[in-house]
Amino acid sequence: MDALLAHLDYVAVTIVFCTGLYILLVRQNLLKKLIGLNIMETAVFAFIVTTGMVDDGDPPLLTGELGPLFASPLPHALVLTGIVVAVSVTSLALALIVRVHREHGTIELDELLDRDGR
Amino acid sequence: MRPAIAALVVGLVALVLLAGLIALPEPGAPDSPAQRHVSAEYIDGGSQAGGAANLVTAVLLNYRGLDTFGEVLVIFSALVAVLVVLASAPQTGSAQPAQRLAPSPVVAFIVRLMAPFMAAFAAFVMISGAHLPGGGFQGGVVLGAMTILLAVAMGRDRVARMLRGGARFWVRAAAPLVFALVALIGWASTGWWFGLPGPGPFRDALVLALDIAIGVGGAAVLAGIFLALSRE
Amino acid sequence: MAATDLFDLAVLTLMIACVISIARTRDLVKAAVLFSVYSLVLCLLWVHRSAPDVAMTEAAVGAGITVALFLYTIAHVGRHEK
Repeated sequence: MDALLAHLDYVAVTIVFCTGLYILLVRQNLLKKLIGLNIMETAVFAFIVTTGMVDDGDPPLLTGELGPLFASPLPHALVLTGIVVAVSVTSLALALIVRVHREHGTIELDELLDRDGR
Repeated sequence: MRPAIAALVVGLVALVLLAGLIALPEPGAPDSPAQRHVSAEYIDGGSQAGGAANLVTAVLLNYRGLDTFGEVLVIFSALVAVLVVLASAPQTGSAQPAQRLAPSPVVAFIVRLMAPFMAAFAAFVMISGAHLPGGGFQGGVVLGAMTILLAVAMGRDRVARMLRGGARFWVRAAAPLVFALVALIGWASTGWWFGLPGPGPFRDALVLALDIAIGVGGAAVLAGIFLALSRE
Repeated sequence: MAATDLFDLAVLTLMIACVISIARTRDLVKAAVLFSVYSLVLCLLWVHRSAPDVAMTEAAVGAGITVALFLYTIAHVGRHEK
């Protein structure tokens, strides 16, 4: 229990990640599934930035007036690349959803599978 | 998947994740392994070896330039893929045409008033990425968001006509092309791909060119994706 | 310890509340707007974690561009999920 309270950030990130995973598994609407995927991605970014944090640390700028303890710049760069990749995946998924709706008239996964004859 | 089974799976995943995350050092501890090895080297190397006082820009463009090149290629291929997927003839089975509601005149006026200031802010963030928080992609997304706001206020077709033909093609491809050019220059001057030369005005100019190219290219790609999705 | 002051607890609770509301709603426009709120709360968290570049990018991307793309797609496909 003490360990859980000490790592409260990580517990919150796990709860958000698992809620996103639940949305992705249960909801049948393709757009809702995509929102769940985005929630999972942002939860992972929050985790990565939190591992680079230092208590009473300053942003990693070396202009001379910030203190001796800096937050680590490497997780920030990784998360920036990650946000770009998340935007790319989301935009391509949205284009595919629009195309699926144009071809079949619905974006509910169970209706699409029934229509396919399964 | 039935909600009960999904809840069970999600509960198992949560237990496994928590068991792993509790074993990590506490967030914020200054002596955790994430702070010590590579990050300590980057912070000690400082702006001399890194190339910028903003360490995140130094990591993105100098220490990990190859990763940033990959990211620029990913967002460019996303634009190409979206244009391919949405290129076929529309309106084959849609239920009803989307109703166009004009935005209220207050919104339209405010957006047109603020657009030059947004563009100036985006340019400032792009150019001052070396010594203030900011950099290439940050300015690029502000510029892309400004384009989307203008399209909502002024009508999508007017914004799509602003940049046409050949100029549109080159602006969208600006980021990968300039990156490849800088890689060649780096190979010619230091012997390593993406290697930036020593401290001096030449390196500052290269970092500035990379920032502007990533910003403008990223904004053009995001605006292109938005215009493709809002066509009908 | 890292997350014991009131600001951190408020931000983390708000994040979890936003995500649970997204899971429960059936209206897609409401889900998109809640996602924009969630992105802004995340941006606040990152400013508190000394990450200004990441906060700037997340504010523009998550709260602006992604939600605009979602709303234009909802205009094509319909607002309510079954």
